[in-house]
Amino acid sequence: MHSAERQTVHRWTFIWIGALVALVGFSLLGVALTSSQAWLETSPSLGLSLLGWGGLVQALNALLLVSEQPVAPVPNTGLLVAGAVVWLAGWALIAAGIRRAPASAEGPSPAAGATLYPRLARYRDFYWSTLGAYGGGMLLAEVVLILLQTVLSSGVSATELGAAGKGASSGLSLPPTGAFAIALLAGGMVAFISGFIGASRAQRLSLPEATIGVLYLGLPIPIVLTLMERLPGLQLALGYRLREVTYVAGLIGRPELGYWLVFTFLVLALVLGINTGFIAAGSGRVDLKLGFELFVARRHVAVFRPSLLLGTLAVLMFGIIPPLLIYFIIRSAEAAVERTRIRALGLKDPLAAASDLNRLKLREQSPTMMMTALSVGGVGVGVMALIIVLSVMSGFEADLQQKILGTNAHAVVSKYAGDLPEYAKVMESVRKVPGVVGQTPFIINQVMIASEGNVDGVIIKGIDPGTVGEVTDLPKNILGGGSLDILYTPEKIVHRGLPDEEPAEESGVEEDDIIRRSGTPKKAPVLPGIVIGRELAASLRVVVGDRVNVVSPLGTELSPSGPIPKSRAFRVAAVFYSGMYEYDSKFVYILLKEAQDFFGVKGATGIELKVADIDDARRIASQVVKVLGGYPYRARDWGEMNKNLFSALRLEKLVMGIILSIIIIVAAGLIVATVIMLVLEKRKEISVLKALGVPDGGIVKIFLAEGLQIGVAGGFLGLISGLSWCLFIEKAGIKLDPDVYYIPAVPVRIEPVQTVLAVVIAVLVTYLASIYPALKASSVEPVEGLKAE
Amino acid sequence: MALLSIRNVFKSYFLHGKRIDILRGVSLDIQRGELVSLVGASGAGKSTFLHVLGTLDAPAAGEVLFEDRPVFSMNDAEIAEFRNQTIGFVFQSHFLLPEFTALENVAMPALIRRQDRTGAYAYARELLERVGLGHRVDHRPGELSGGEAQRVALARALVLKPAVLLADEPTGNLDPATGEGIHQLLREVNREQGITAVVVTHNETLARSMPRRLRLAGGEVSEA
Ligand SMILES: Nc1ncnc2c1ncn2[C@@H]1O[C@H](COP(=O)(O)OP(=O)(O)OP(=O)(O)O)[C@@H](O)[C@H]1O
Ligand SMILES: [Mg+2]
Repeated sequence: MHSAERQTVHRWTFIWIGALVALVGFSLLGVALTSSQAWLETSPSLGLSLLGWGGLVQALNALLLVSEQPVAPVPNTGLLVAGAVVWLAGWALIAAGIRRAPASAEGPSPAAGATLYPRLARYRDFYWSTLGAYGGGMLLAEVVLILLQTVLSSGVSATELGAAGKGASSGLSLPPTGAFAIALLAGGMVAFISGFIGASRAQRLSLPEATIGVLYLGLPIPIVLTLMERLPGLQLALGYRLREVTYVAGLIGRPELGYWLVFTFLVLALVLGINTGFIAAGSGRVDLKLGFELFVARRHVAVFRPSLLLGTLAVLMFGIIPPLLIYFIIRSAEAAVERTRIRALGLKDPLAAASDLNRLKLREQSPTMMMTALSVGGVGVGVMALIIVLSVMSGFEADLQQKILGTNAHAVVSKYAGDLPEYAKVMESVRKVPGVVGQTPFIINQVMIASEGNVDGVIIKGIDPGTVGEVTDLPKNILGGGSLDILYTPEKIVHRGLPDEEPAEESGVEEDDIIRRSGTPKKAPVLPGIVIGRELAASLRVVVGDRVNVVSPLGTELSPSGPIPKSRAFRVAAVFYSGMYEYDSKFVYILLKEAQDFFGVKGATGIELKVADIDDARRIASQVVKVLGGYPYRARDWGEMNKNLFSALRLEKLVMGIILSIIIIVAAGLIVATVIMLVLEKRKEISVLKALGVPDGGIVKIFLAEGLQIGVAGGFLGLISGLSWCLFIEKAGIKLDPDVYYIPAVPVRIEPVQTVLAVVIAVLVTYLASIYPALKASSVEPVEGLKAE
Repeated sequence: MALLSIRNVFKSYFLHGKRIDILRGVSLDIQRGELVSLVGASGAGKSTFLHVLGTLDAPAAGEVLFEDRPVFSMNDAEIAEFRNQTIGFVFQSHFLLPEFTALENVAMPALIRRQDRTGAYAYARELLERVGLGHRVDHRPGELSGGEAQRVALARALVLKPAVLLADEPTGNLDPATGEGIHQLLREVNREQGITAVVVTHNETLARSMPRRLRLAGGEVSEA
């Protein structure tokens, strides 16, 4: 027996040395690759090759005749070879170490030849059907995701391009992000269900099957998609429609990251499915009841106690120190009072006093309880941070959107080329489209604007004061209670300054007019009005009543000294303030008629629309085009017109979400630790429960329920504290530096979907985190715990 | 047809490369309704044998048949159901669940079987009264004496009226009078419900009072 023992030791030395040698070899390889700067290029291929996918990648590359970039020459061939040799030698050592099995020191057992323990005899290492279910499920989920995404989102382009033909596909015209959400959900469902079926068929978790299935059936599509990104040729070969899939991935900036995120999501769904399948049906029959398991779990971790919940909530709301201080003060005060009372009682009734004293001592909390509270707090912090940050970012987005939409139309109808002389007729037809609540014609152009003090490049818009209020907030944004109607009566514009300055200016204008407007019929000596933004007024140093010159670089006029830019004088009729620096500094408004004149436009550039539901703007826009008969008309909605801005905002939000989810993942680590502690603490109980007839699945359910309780409690507390913080920020307001931001205070907007999502993610993560400890718990054999007394 | 047949059961432990044989080919039949006592020196393997009978421990080789059905070839769910409904086990130490009251502990097998809670509690209370603990129903295991806890464990083993009761020294911690009461109870349930019981004991008088007596020595079981 001595020899058997020593052999075991030897084995481990072999393995340890082998591992060290292999590590050295690996580092040598790494050094060789880094020194030739080939690491970056080779590591993805190496990774794929390690999993057996090298061939596919090579074949695809070859098939598409991609000219490989010449691999950087490896100057350190010696180092590379040495590294490889050492690495292999390390593995050989490990293999040798494992092969040295201890020799049996004793003779044949008296039980030789007796029937083998039946459970062992029946054991099967591998279930092909489960492999099929897992791998096929992954593959199917990916295919479903891609197909759904393509079908759902391609509806848009179908209506837009072939609007003349069919109208039935309009129901499918979802924005790509919406389509993606639906497709992702459907794909996740498929993965979940196949995991469920696979696990319940095999009646166990079948990790080898899952790994092989995911690696060999799940990986090809993300690999191909990633390659596609690198090879535009392949993308074309696979068809234009598939590009829709890459649209959403493209939003993140790094499409391949998008694919792998989605892939991870599907794998998670599969794991959830496998786990749920194992729990629900792993013991041979579907058992979805939870009553008993919850009963036990609630006793093990009493999370839903008012003291714990309130305490954690206080910590979340006010930070750690103040509630802790208050807690200790209250506790020690209470204990002191209690002890005084007990002493007084003891003089009369020593028995009752002793019992009370005992109860006082028993109130001390167990380490598991502390761990539980910590985990709840961790999840709570994560959810709270997620909710607050996402709400503030939504607030910014909403604020921006509101300001953009206040100044801009929800959608614009125009022609692909040229003006819209028939705008009155078009407006007549557009009026009938349901969902359109306002419209106004406009002319837009870029000009220079000059005052006495300064000059600036601006966008000038010809508007119809009668209808512009239907579409934008411009009439409401006029400062000082002015109205746009003053544009119709420029003679009523109050002139600024000293009375004696006025005639001088007036005469100057007349001179100018005579010189510059020689081509146009004679006008009244009154200047037409112009409305400018507050910031522009400040930079031009003008106020209402001042004169400004507008110079158009487009139309030129002939003068004795050759062609000069067309110029015209206006009088500031009103100043507006929208709250958006972009607009307040860059937009000026004149009458439509003046603009027609000035720029030689017949009719209008286009028509601005306001719709009842801004989220429906895209659909209504395509509806409008259909009513107008398609080409040459087109309609763009606000999202399309400000695409860059909003997609940048969304991206930022996504990144913040991912970063904050890391907090929740850290909290998940806490939960794993807590549940593992629980499992270790409860080994005996697990054995007893098993002896009383709880199947493995039941034990898993109990410990999952314990983890979930922590997750639900944490999510709930995070929700409450996050929402209260949001309300606090909204009501109390956090001031922003007005020099840096254009918003006076931090905006908050609580979006129900995203808030619920934060909580759901937290609960899901805790569920996933408890899977491993719960499985560990279920593998405790009854005798193990019964012996440990 | 025997209710329980044990066929050539082996059980050994390997410790530091050394084999300790606990059971060396035990074969035995137990009929329905039999009351069996099992005696043997400390460390002889009585508890091990009882665990194998109750499917809590797997034999290294050999079979245990319940109504001619090999219990160890059942799948996980069937084995769990078998432990829950067919076997009532009283462990050598009480092994009550510390977070639950005596009443809840006794009702636990019924709750695992997903029986209605009020019904389960009612019967559990009745059983606790029969083992003389009607006044301790709301005590947690930490608030019970060793003998009381053992009696609660006996009540728990009986709550689902199992076909087989396997008791590992149920009277080990009891004074003679209470111990006799427990034996009385065992004989009663045997009479009323036809329960089959295998009782490990060091108490010679109790062993002798049982209709069938077994002795475990040297890894083999013999009639005594
Ligand atoms: N896990 C183990 N590893 C090695 N030996 C063990 C293990 N469990 C039990 N044994 C040994 O098996 C033998 C039988 O143990 P068992 O508990 O069945 O005895 P017992 O007859 O019930 O004794 P007692 O009357 O004292 O309860 C003991 O000698 C013990 O040392
Ligand atoms: Mg024993």
